[in-house]
Amino acid sequence: MKKDSPQMQQEQDRKTAEATAAADTAYDALSASPSRTLLGDAWHRLRKNRLAIVAIIWIIVMVIAAVTADLWVPQRFGDPITINTQTLTADRLLPPQLAHPFGTDDLGRDVFARVVYGARFSLAVGLIATAISIVIGLVLGALGGYYGGFTDTLIMRTADVFFAFPYTLFAIALVAVLGPGFINVFIAIGVLGWPSIARVFRSSIFSVKSQDYVQAARALGASDIRIMSRHIMPNSVAPIIVYGTMSIGGAILTEAALSFLGMGIQPPTPSWGYMINASTKFMTTAPWLMLWPGFAILTTVLSFVLLGDGLRDALDVKMKD
Amino acid sequence: MLKYIGRRILQMIPVFIGVTVLLFLMTAVVPGDPVKMITGEREISPAVYNQIRAEYGFDKPLIVQYGMYLNRLAHGDLGQSLMRGRPVKDMLLDKFPYTMQLALAAIIIEIIFGIGAGMISAVKRYSFADVLVTLSTSILVSLPVFWLGTLLQMFFGIYLKEWTNGAFYLPMSGAGGPGAPFPHWVYLILPAITLASVSTAYAARIMRSQLLEVMGQDYIRTATAKGLSASAVLWRHTVKNAMIPVITFIGIDFGAMMSGAILTETVFNWPGVGNEIYNAVVRRDWPVVMGGVVIIVVVVMIINLLVDISYAFFDPRIRYGGGEEA
Amino acid sequence: MATDLLVVEDLKMYFHTRDGVVKAVDGVSYTLNKGETIGVVGESGSGKSVTAMTMMRLIPMPPGKVEGGDVRFNGESLLTLPEDKMRAIRGNRIAMIFQDPMTSLNPVYRVGHQLAEPLMLHKNLSKAEAWKRATELLEMVGIPHPESRVKDYPHQFSGGMRQRVMIAMALACDPDILIADEPTTALDVTIQAQILELMQELQQRTGSAIIMITHDLGVVADMADRILVMYAGKAVEYGTVDEVFYSPSHPYTWGLIDSLPRHDMTEKGELCPIKGQPPSLIQVPSGCSFHPRCPYAKDRCRTEIPASRTIDGSHVAACHFAGDPGFTRTEMACAGVNVG
Repeated sequence: MKKDSPQMQQEQDRKTAEATAAADTAYDALSASPSRTLLGDAWHRLRKNRLAIVAIIWIIVMVIAAVTADLWVPQRFGDPITINTQTLTADRLLPPQLAHPFGTDDLGRDVFARVVYGARFSLAVGLIATAISIVIGLVLGALGGYYGGFTDTLIMRTADVFFAFPYTLFAIALVAVLGPGFINVFIAIGVLGWPSIARVFRSSIFSVKSQDYVQAARALGASDIRIMSRHIMPNSVAPIIVYGTMSIGGAILTEAALSFLGMGIQPPTPSWGYMINASTKFMTTAPWLMLWPGFAILTTVLSFVLLGDGLRDALDVKMKD
Repeated sequence: MLKYIGRRILQMIPVFIGVTVLLFLMTAVVPGDPVKMITGEREISPAVYNQIRAEYGFDKPLIVQYGMYLNRLAHGDLGQSLMRGRPVKDMLLDKFPYTMQLALAAIIIEIIFGIGAGMISAVKRYSFADVLVTLSTSILVSLPVFWLGTLLQMFFGIYLKEWTNGAFYLPMSGAGGPGAPFPHWVYLILPAITLASVSTAYAARIMRSQLLEVMGQDYIRTATAKGLSASAVLWRHTVKNAMIPVITFIGIDFGAMMSGAILTETVFNWPGVGNEIYNAVVRRDWPVVMGGVVIIVVVVMIINLLVDISYAFFDPRIRYGGGEEA
Repeated sequence: MATDLLVVEDLKMYFHTRDGVVKAVDGVSYTLNKGETIGVVGESGSGKSVTAMTMMRLIPMPPGKVEGGDVRFNGESLLTLPEDKMRAIRGNRIAMIFQDPMTSLNPVYRVGHQLAEPLMLHKNLSKAEAWKRATELLEMVGIPHPESRVKDYPHQFSGGMRQRVMIAMALACDPDILIADEPTTALDVTIQAQILELMQELQQRTGSAIIMITHDLGVVADMADRILVMYAGKAVEYGTVDEVFYSPSHPYTWGLIDSLPRHDMTEKGELCPIKGQPPSLIQVPSGCSFHPRCPYAKDRCRTEIPASRTIDGSHVAACHFAGDPGFTRTEMACAGVNVG
């Protein structure tokens, strides 16, 4: 190539432009005012999302109601759990009214009280089971993502095996094997959720790992753990937050399905899924019985879904389903 | 492309093995006496007890048990029902066509309404229709399938009947048969809608986001710059590209649909595999439960493999692999 | 002069966004005739691409809105044409090729199909005829083995090849005007030269006019008959290629030319980019939009928007002092920002 040919000049043009841009960016960075942190930025964006705010408020209301239930429910509405065979027939299957805002069930128990108590269990499952999934998923995803190679293949193949099972079906099978009862529900749902989390986290790690600033850190002699905690984790956390939030909704739905089939928490302790099942017998005589637990599930899960959507927009996470 | 198919099948094999291992572990490593899983709570003589122990190899190491399990699976032996005494396989295979009918009907609904809603919502972005679709998909996704089923039953089976004095309503349960008030397919309507609901919502969301993503691509701009009309650009270029991930989603969703089938069939008393599984759970007839799980998992895996392979047909980048030439 | 092929007259197009009004195109004028090439030069964000997209009516309106001026093609105003008539022009009489060949072709259709599409649409060719012509077009742009390549998919072509395909697609219907939006920016240097050569060759053969949009002065030096220099949405200098290169009259043009590394520089010589950044088009500087970066800026430049001053015939520049005797390059634009 001749030294002064057009190609050479164009090449140099580009290099000049790049050099200028890089210098300017560095200059701006040094002299710029301190920007908001990632979380601060995200919170600011989230606040603008009205649906997400409503969702957060509703979740907080429910959590408070559920946690403090023992303090105010039985006093006003009677015992939602124990079966009192002496309840008057007149008090059974009452339609919604002032004393019983959701009516009473076939055993005379106040439905509103039962719904609130059902919330305790559903929310607990949602949060705890998802927490279990996240812990397992993070650990395995981290191992696979960071070390790659055989570890990674092994973990991913195992995840594939889990993925081959339809989720709810797997839950049913697990609970069938472990036996009904609430601890087993926690375990079953918790154990099933890890592959998705692991996958999301792992792909986060892979994309971050290849970024230049990680190479730079390594070149500066940073240890593996340091790189993980300082560079990889903060950047990979966003998708986990979003996915985790949405998983809570999924966990609650799965628990409801298990309870509906009679495999969840056993009566007389109330659970929303079971309440729906029990109410089908009274479809014609007391149709409202079916509505309340269903709405409870719907609004709870919807809140987590909307919150998850909002978080995804706020944290600007691009996730491929 | 054959390489792609071959690779896919090869990848399937370890997963398949893993699945059988998992299934085996679930039946073998149960808390309590494994013999009870086979015989239930009945009283049995020590002779029968020992016979079963030997037959299933409960005293042998796990690996051997696994081998025997695989052997039984290969021969289609899914055990005996505790209550009925019949081979599980026969019981379930009878019901299988009903579940497939339901799934097929649901998928058709999913394709028409899911893709349609997704398209309307993406093309008329920010319009009332878009907001409506976005809100209703969010709600559908949060809705427990079985609750929707019971609501539909109540409305179409009971209230509609009342309001029209018995003139117009939909059946709430069963699958019809000789002497039934409706032909068989009418019984399919409500269960299929119920089963399709959640999947349709997801399909609509994915279609919408895929369409929006494709619409922002450079080659769509090129198509418009060539003088194509807006509808030509939409149908010939945008939709064709956006469909690929959506079709694969529908295929993958088939598995979730099978789970949903259990709940739907239970609510509507539809005589499929799902219903059998539920009844078995209630009666604690574990062999039937596990047998049903095995059948469903195998079908799902086959469908997933077919979907994976079909992906190659839709995306020419995979079909004609081939990197770049200078 | 008999009706010019294309006349752009004081075109203004703003984007109305939530964050403010973006004055993307703010008074651009030029003429183009058969067989001519005009080079539209400017930095990223100068509005050079948006001007072309506005002409083709490819800008979504809202948020875009034409605020003034006109674009006349063979005497007919393009901006007020009904959409179906505009569609008949796009890809047919006026064609466009875009910057990134890797993403500008639809991955699920064969190349032959994409070439045949405009032919079947505008020229009413049958599918067989269109595909035959597609093969001829591939040969015209220098793709070896066109008969078999025409059935291939875009991902089976390299970047340079894809750009050739884009050119073939644009020229399929023998357009009067070819708009090339940074056609070589995404390509390797050696391929760039090939593509430009190809374009010139084709222009000779077909006689179409070319609007070459680029940030690279080197590209236009060879190809263009006239040059339009744009800055912050406005046209700052316009003239024949000789006039602009040998008698540049606007400080921005001086800065552009100065920033080219010279072949007679010694190793220790410094590169001389124009200091500062192009302005945000929402908050355009008052008066002359270049004044914050201009070493010659005076008070007047901050307050008064410069009109287009005639230097010589059709050579114009939008600077208060352009053409004044004695107003010549004395300072390098990199030597210091005149905050004035």
